Amino acid sequence: MTLTRADFVGVMTNAISGLGLAPAAAMVTFPIEMFLPGSDISPVEARRQEFYDGLTRWSLEPAGNGGGASAMVSVQGATPEDALVRANHRILANQWGDGLPVWPATRERVEWILQGTPLPREHVLGTFPPRGGVATVEGCAVALAMAGGRPEYLPVLVAGVEAFLDPESGSEQLQAASGSAFPVLIVNGPIAPQIKLNSGFGCLGPDPQYPAGASIGRALRLMQQNVGGARPGVGTMANYGGLRYTNVVFAEDEANLPAGWTPHGRERHGFGAGTSSISLAFANGATNIRRRGAKKETPEEDALQGMHRMADFMRVPNLAGLAGYERGAPGILMIPGVVAQTMTGLGWTKRSMREFLWEHSRIPAEQLRRAGGYAWIEIDASAVTRDSAALDPWPITATPDNFILIVAGGGHPTNSYWLQGYSPGVVGREIRVPEHFSRLLSEAERDLTGA
Amino acid sequence: MTTLEFYDPCGRLEVRQPHAPRLDTLRGKRLGFVSNEQWQAFRMLPLLKSLLERDFPGVEVLPIDAFPQGNALIGNEETAAEVKRSGVDAVIIGNAA
Repeated sequence: MTLTRADFVGVMTNAISGLGLAPAAAMVTFPIEMFLPGSDISPVEARRQEFYDGLTRWSLEPAGNGGGASAMVSVQGATPEDALVRANHRILANQWGDGLPVWPATRERVEWILQGTPLPREHVLGTFPPRGGVATVEGCAVALAMAGGRPEYLPVLVAGVEAFLDPESGSEQLQAASGSAFPVLIVNGPIAPQIKLNSGFGCLGPDPQYPAGASIGRALRLMQQNVGGARPGVGTMANYGGLRYTNVVFAEDEANLPAGWTPHGRERHGFGAGTSSISLAFANGATNIRRRGAKKETPEEDALQGMHRMADFMRVPNLAGLAGYERGAPGILMIPGVVAQTMTGLGWTKRSMREFLWEHSRIPAEQLRRAGGYAWIEIDASAVTRDSAALDPWPITATPDNFILIVAGGGHPTNSYWLQGYSPGVVGREIRVPEHFSRLLSEAERDLTGA
Repeated sequence: MTTLEFYDPCGRLEVRQPHAPRLDTLRGKRLGFVSNEQWQAFRMLPLLKSLLERDFPGVEVLPIDAFPQGNALIGNEETAAEVKRSGVDAVIIGNAA
């Protein structure tokens, strides 16, 4: 039996069903105020009989088994448009949408999208934490249909869901936690340009020229919410929930990688050249960092000052990187291709940039102490993290290799972008496409260009 | 009239194990706490322990720190095994995260 906050019941119910139990439990709940320092805890005594009953008399409501597979819903309208409006109302009433209009996942649309995978529709990808809903290929197609997606996006979504459900990703905890984590999918390989996944200007936002990222990310978010149970304030305690409409799905700008730079998928996960892959990490912040100088800097000064600005920005004791201190990522640094190429010409390498960032983002012990950082480090589950408390200045991550450095963004040298990591692990998956994928691409070209 | 039929996007749940049976009484039983040590657990759980001991003579309530505490430890298999080995009849889990 459980003692918990009233606002935490959804999280608890999800956690219970995620363990394979019926989604209910004996709980005694109190308002959040009782859980704050200095609170009046006398209600525990006043309601003690509820604890005793929970241990001796609680029983499961018979209807609490979560329902069956592939249930269908129907609405009727006077006209097709009226039916579409009513479907959207029903979807919101059932808390299945995200506030923006969705495509109802009709049989026809789901069948169409399922053409995008070589896997059978009933193939189980895993159980989605924390609720424990069974994630299938068909479930991916349903979410992608709702998100306005297309068949050629499905292989990326399926790979993303596989990575998300890998325990190494940390999704089991991050789905429910208050830190507002969002998944970041970095795509490498030929599939990115084939499906029009953006790697250039505005690659983190919606773009009618490159519509894939928004649909794939939105579909993943809908699965997090519907299959995984992460409804804000009910199944997830994320305080702010930034970037949740579309998560972050983009491609590395491989066409503009400098000589000697290995694509991220091969470097971090060992995928072969020409392999399409995704790499999933979690982040919980996104900030533009001005990179270029403004006056008469030499190229060397311009590069060095930009590196210092980026490292200085990372040198903050908010401890987001603790989640992946040992083998995850303190963040994802995105730099445009033109910057990577210029810095390579000046003698910088990917390794030397990572080492610079690691060294210059270390936090002096006094600053960490005054911000209460040591308490969080000392309670961490990782011995490597706990032992790092002895280091002064304190590195924000265990090794320089943990930094994810990606070439992406428009061909303009002024800015870089930092996705603050909150990522226990970084998980890669190969993207598998069906034999008839080229036909799907031809159909997409026809549909999306009017050709 | 137009009918639009579409999928419920939530997927199915698989119930793989039953909830633990309830105790017939608390008298003479051995109880424990599994605590994340946050949200005033250090005040509320000892109060609950004292209430149980007052209301049910003969009950044995283990100390609050009898099992590993903290979010990083209470959910792992080692802690679950330790709880089972202790021979407690039931545990109270608190205080959310």
